[in-house]
Amino acid sequence: MSNTELVALLPLISFATVITIVLLAIPFWRNLKGICALSVVGLLISLATILWTTRIVPIQVTPLVLIDQYALLFMTLICLATVAVALLAYDYLKEREGQQEEFYLLLLLAALGAIVLVCSSHFASFLLGLELLGISLYALISFPIRGQATLEAALKYLILSGVASAFLLFGTALIFAALGTLSFNEMVQGFYVDVGSNRLYVMVGSALMLAGICFKLSLVPFHMWTPDVYEGAPAPVTAFVATVSKGAIFAILLRFFIWTDAYQYESILFGLGIIAVLSMLAGNLLALMQSSVKRILAYSSIAHLGYLLVAFIAGRLAGGAALAVEAASYFLVAYFITTLGAFGVVSIMSNGNRERDLDDIASYEGLFSRRPFLATAFTAMLLSLAGIPLTVGFVGKFYIFAAGVQGALASYGWSLLVALIIGSGIGLYYYLRIVFAMTKRPAATDSAATEWITIPVAGGWVMLTLTGTLLALGVYPTPLIELINSMVRSLPL
Amino acid sequence: MLDLVWLVPIFPLAGFLILFTTIGKLPQPIAAAVGAGSVGLAAVVAFSAGYVFLADGMSPLTVTLYTWMNVGDFSPGLSFYVDGLTLIMMFVITGVGFLIHVYSTTNRAVFIDDEHHSRFFAYMNLFVCAMLLLVMGDNLLLLYMGWEGVGLCSYLLIGFWHDDPANGAAARKAFVVTRIGDTAMALGLFLLFLNFRTLEIQPLMAKASGTWVLGSPTLAAFLILGGAVGKSAQLPLQTWLPDAMAGPTPVSALIHAATMVTAGVYLIARTHELFLLAPVAQTAVALVGVITLLMAACTALVQTDIKRILAFSTISQIGYMFLALGVSAWSSGIFHLMTHAFFKALLFLGAGAVIFSLHHEHNILKMGGLRKRLPVAFWSFLIGSAALAAFPFTSGFYSKEPILMQAFEVSPWLWAGGLLGAFITAIYSFRLVFIVFFGEMRTEPIEPTGLSGTPWAMAIPLLILCVLAITGGWWGEPQVAAVFPEVSGEHHAGATAYITSGVPLVGIVLAYLIFLDGRLKVTALTESSLGKVLHDFWFSHWAMDWLYNALFVSPFKWVTAFNKKDILVDSIYDGTAATAAYVHTLLSQTQTGVLRFYAASMALGLVVLVAVVLGLT
Repeated sequence: MSNTELVALLPLISFATVITIVLLAIPFWRNLKGICALSVVGLLISLATILWTTRIVPIQVTPLVLIDQYALLFMTLICLATVAVALLAYDYLKEREGQQEEFYLLLLLAALGAIVLVCSSHFASFLLGLELLGISLYALISFPIRGQATLEAALKYLILSGVASAFLLFGTALIFAALGTLSFNEMVQGFYVDVGSNRLYVMVGSALMLAGICFKLSLVPFHMWTPDVYEGAPAPVTAFVATVSKGAIFAILLRFFIWTDAYQYESILFGLGIIAVLSMLAGNLLALMQSSVKRILAYSSIAHLGYLLVAFIAGRLAGGAALAVEAASYFLVAYFITTLGAFGVVSIMSNGNRERDLDDIASYEGLFSRRPFLATAFTAMLLSLAGIPLTVGFVGKFYIFAAGVQGALASYGWSLLVALIIGSGIGLYYYLRIVFAMTKRPAATDSAATEWITIPVAGGWVMLTLTGTLLALGVYPTPLIELINSMVRSLPL
Repeated sequence: MLDLVWLVPIFPLAGFLILFTTIGKLPQPIAAAVGAGSVGLAAVVAFSAGYVFLADGMSPLTVTLYTWMNVGDFSPGLSFYVDGLTLIMMFVITGVGFLIHVYSTTNRAVFIDDEHHSRFFAYMNLFVCAMLLLVMGDNLLLLYMGWEGVGLCSYLLIGFWHDDPANGAAARKAFVVTRIGDTAMALGLFLLFLNFRTLEIQPLMAKASGTWVLGSPTLAAFLILGGAVGKSAQLPLQTWLPDAMAGPTPVSALIHAATMVTAGVYLIARTHELFLLAPVAQTAVALVGVITLLMAACTALVQTDIKRILAFSTISQIGYMFLALGVSAWSSGIFHLMTHAFFKALLFLGAGAVIFSLHHEHNILKMGGLRKRLPVAFWSFLIGSAALAAFPFTSGFYSKEPILMQAFEVSPWLWAGGLLGAFITAIYSFRLVFIVFFGEMRTEPIEPTGLSGTPWAMAIPLLILCVLAITGGWWGEPQVAAVFPEVSGEHHAGATAYITSGVPLVGIVLAYLIFLDGRLKVTALTESSLGKVLHDFWFSHWAMDWLYNALFVSPFKWVTAFNKKDILVDSIYDGTAATAAYVHTLLSQTQTGVLRFYAASMALGLVVLVAVVLGLT
């Protein structure tokens, strides 16, 4: 392995080093604040190595890993999101009973899994990253153990995730049987097969693989676990599941389709189209009358991944891949910021040693008069989820529309756009419902219930940064657009 | 220096934000200083920019602050386009706007307490900012934002005294009627974007002569004309402006005389390439102008409310601007826009002083003999009316004359209509002066304070406007010729020119004979049955409100009354909501929380997915 290749692997190496240090520190140093600080510093160092690496990309390191601008962009996103989750989790954990330091070990392992995912160019590294991410998540979801709900959530996720992994592995096996390779680069020649039994293997294999991935992305009809797990998991972990886990898996899905030219299979895209329409409609409809904020956000994330698929499908067109990557990347950044912010509010509301997270919509009534900062931040997040102009979510959704219109104009049908518009319309209702609840004047007796909420230092800064970024990128998105554009130009499209 | 033009709208915006966030907390003098100061600073920057622009040889310039986003063909930016036309508009908005703001700082102009004071200046500043965005915007999006922004401020300020439901009704009327025009304009802008895939106005106009995928230049021009007649109160959407006088007088001066109502003129001038491609639409502009100016002038002749007279006169004068645009006298139209801003602001502010002195009396028949008691208001009115009537060597004379001469080149009929309008204008404007300031005193003005009843902050803007109303035309047409194509043909000197200049004088003499001297009795005419009918007809503005009530409002009310239970329309919305809720109930039954069911759903999904993938192959 040459020096350059080693430098290219620096982000992964630095991540692994940080994890080892944290692992060794915990037995001797039971100090939540210290371990949290150690993890955050480690994450920031890894971030620095990512920026350092940008000079030598793209570079293929062994058949397993491809470090290019695409991978680095998503690594950066994952690192930053993990920092936010780590800080939110500190406030969340510090007043709870028991020993909480291991949380950070699991969080870093999960993030490492996500990072391996986004830079993998081979099914081996793909599955390695996926399972590293998944197994860490099972433990994170039930962390800290407090009653039946978290355990139930973790167990459901464990079992269903196992089913999905089985789909995925079987699909991979079928593709391997047909093509004799697991490397994305080598598949590009043979993936699009015209005739014969190989074609059957590839198609069924792809369908199985997609089903597994759709589970992780919580797309209809593989979405059932989402609300239960979101509700049961601690709010910071929910934020992680919703952003890092899904973002990384979407990134690898897009990479796989572009690298292997799987876009040529009309029928696979048609299947994805159905899944997208179902997700946009069912996700938004399911959220409509919910009373739990976490469940609302869970269903909303189902719908959002449906929107993302619209951009994904537009990549099929000649020359559409560039717009698809651009739109999906921007949308994912917007989705990361907004979802982290929304769950951040829930997390701050649920600080202290309580058994359940405070996610009942009634608990948010009158938040504007009691905690104006928190309520304003939450409103900004919800408006961004709804795609209101001058938030980052608007620009993201505008991208999806642009990609979708281009897809529709190229005689791909308007059904995706129609579902997108109807879904967005329904979405407004339940986002505004939360805002409306927050503006309500609470009854005098109720106010005692949440009177004690204090805005912690770390969480406060995270929320301030997220809200600021949300507005800044909504008003002036050009720098990010240019960054993404330069990434897209470096791809072999 | 020119790179800094973006500061011009920023100052009023900052003023708005300061005033709006501190409503009721700032003491009156500070609020006034912020309100007037912000516009003053904007004016300083605008005028310096204008100086540099002239010194630099007047080459148009685009100043881009930043591009909002760049997705496909859609790349709207916060960028300003500065050329002669933009600068003239900026001068009028910030210059006249500043004078009106200073005038408003006196308590008596607005007569309100602290909270109202802040609110008033906040809205006024927001208006100035929106109006500047409208004229400076380099792309349609910014133009539209400014367009809607001024509409919003107009609504807020007409209904400023919202305790009286009548004012709220007037504000609503203005909003709804202009909305009809706005809708047409939005469609026009969509059409332009659809065809040429750019939002920037200059490239768009350059491309307009190319092939149209959908629609035609004529259709687009007519849609834009629809927006222009709404905002500029021209036929058939002029009915809102007289009612808009419910707002405070400085509002009428700034928004409903000097600036906002001329936005339609600006819009057509800005898109003149499009109108040149659509001769039918351009002729329609001229016709709209002539008919409106005649209708409004006749109406102004018989009104008795001082502000309504001025309102109809505004409609009529904007009609001249439309006539100018319709006959390709682009520069003259903009010239008249500028001089009109001077003398009409002067008249409104003078009227404000009169109305205040007479305890909110609006009826001119109850006024009289105020010449000695209110000298500042008198001179303002005299000069303003002279300019309005195009009395030789006043600003209005220099701007109206070339419009009529160019109209004569295009069609003697347009010229004749404009000339008749000028004749009536002279009569009604001096009727106003003679009745209010001469003759016997019918209402005693309140005790004079300061400069003969007018405080300095009021007198100085009036004085400056007086000077502008006289001299505003002495230097010829503003330097906007570079923006517009050459006007073809030479003007005939001689008979036509003399008639054009002479007719207003005849009108003034006639007004003198009828309303002051009394030598000419018109009672026989007004007492006759035909005269009465005509008087009532004109008094009601050609029964337009009645007509619209009968044609649109009453049927609409009937439909709403018929549909009181909202079975018809609401069932669509209620049905949608009920369906959504029902589907939600159905779907949420699938979220049982039972693990084996979830796994089954995944397996089923997989089976269907495989079937779809294989079945379609």
